[in-house]
Amino acid sequence: MPTKDEVFEKIQTALVDALGVDDEDVTPDATLVGDLGAESIDFLDIVFRLEKSFEIKIPRGELFPEDVLTNADYIQDGRVTDVGVEELRKRMPFANLDDFAKNPVVQDFGSLLTVADMCRFVEGKVEVTD
Amino acid sequence: MRFEGKTAIVTGGSNGIGRACVARLVAEGARVAMVDFCDLEVSQAAADEMKDAPGEIVPFQADVRDADRATELVNQLFDQWERIDVLINSAGIVRDGLMAAMTQQQWLDVIGVNLGGTYNYCHAVTQPMMMNRSGSIVNLSSTGAEFPSRGQVNYAASKGGVNGLTRSLAKELASRNVRVNAVAPGMIETGMSAAVRGMVGEKELKKIIPLRRIGQPEDVAQAATFLASDDASYVTGQILRVDGGLSLGGY
Repeated sequence: MPTKDEVFEKIQTALVDALGVDDEDVTPDATLVGDLGAESIDFLDIVFRLEKSFEIKIPRGELFPEDVLTNADYIQDGRVTDVGVEELRKRMPFANLDDFAKNPVVQDFGSLLTVADMCRFVEGKVEVTD
Repeated sequence: MRFEGKTAIVTGGSNGIGRACVARLVAEGARVAMVDFCDLEVSQAAADEMKDAPGEIVPFQADVRDADRATELVNQLFDQWERIDVLINSAGIVRDGLMAAMTQQQWLDVIGVNLGGTYNYCHAVTQPMMMNRSGSIVNLSSTGAEFPSRGQVNYAASKGGVNGLTRSLAKELASRNVRVNAVAPGMIETGMSAAVRGMVGEKELKKIIPLRRIGQPEDVAQAATFLASDDASYVTGQILRVDGGLSLGGY
């Protein structure tokens, strides 16, 4: 059973390998897209590495539910609707969407996921000790 | 020995162009999974003929239309080999017929094997190749995609689809150092082209091929393994015609 520190270290390794960033760039507050330069294919790469590292299965679209952002029911004029934001909260309980919800511009969505969110995501999948 | 220490999967590997690709890969040191729809004994016999080559061949029976089988097979090989360096999608069929007489089954069979099979194996190797930041996929297209014959709407559509898949996937995977290309053979002496060669006559065909000969599976295999090898390290998203100049047209 990994500790929270071990979860962070494994995620750091996955991000360094997938994104070609340095260890010190991967801080809990760093955003995947804005600070670490992740593109859509990188999210798949990261998911592959997390699956291997933690020996877990992560359904595609669970970490980064892109399908919500391409669904006309949830998007209007480049913004996520209230129903869309609710759907994102449901699908991403590990992420803090409060700031995004105040001005939910679709293009900004990619910038909100942080390394700490990813740690919470993994902690929801594996048993973790303190 | 461009493929020493490398691993490869070749679909349709027991016959025709696929078999020539396997022969070239194994002659240059690769470990090759020879995947084919035919009975395992047939593949094993083909593999036995190449047993003196420096590489190694492992035959598998599979229907390339079966996506689960593709994933299972690729994962098994990845667990065992820890890398998949090369995929050559050579499994292909023809079910010719004029549109007015073509059955839906003829359409589905050709699209399913030629395009669906290519998708299934590309899909299965994407993850291991992305993880390794290295890989080369070569799909078998055909000059028939751009210069179609009558009675081949299914075949031409499937190979046109392969071209689109090749170019799109090349863009997707380029940042992962995974290259995706295709070879487009013209008139090649294989079982698949026997009917056309018989119908038109080889003498007539040679008149319209600038290099004045029917191509051999080895001609295509040389081009395919060039694209698969590090010799083509800066080539991706290309459709390389291997047709003796047939598609040049003119006089």
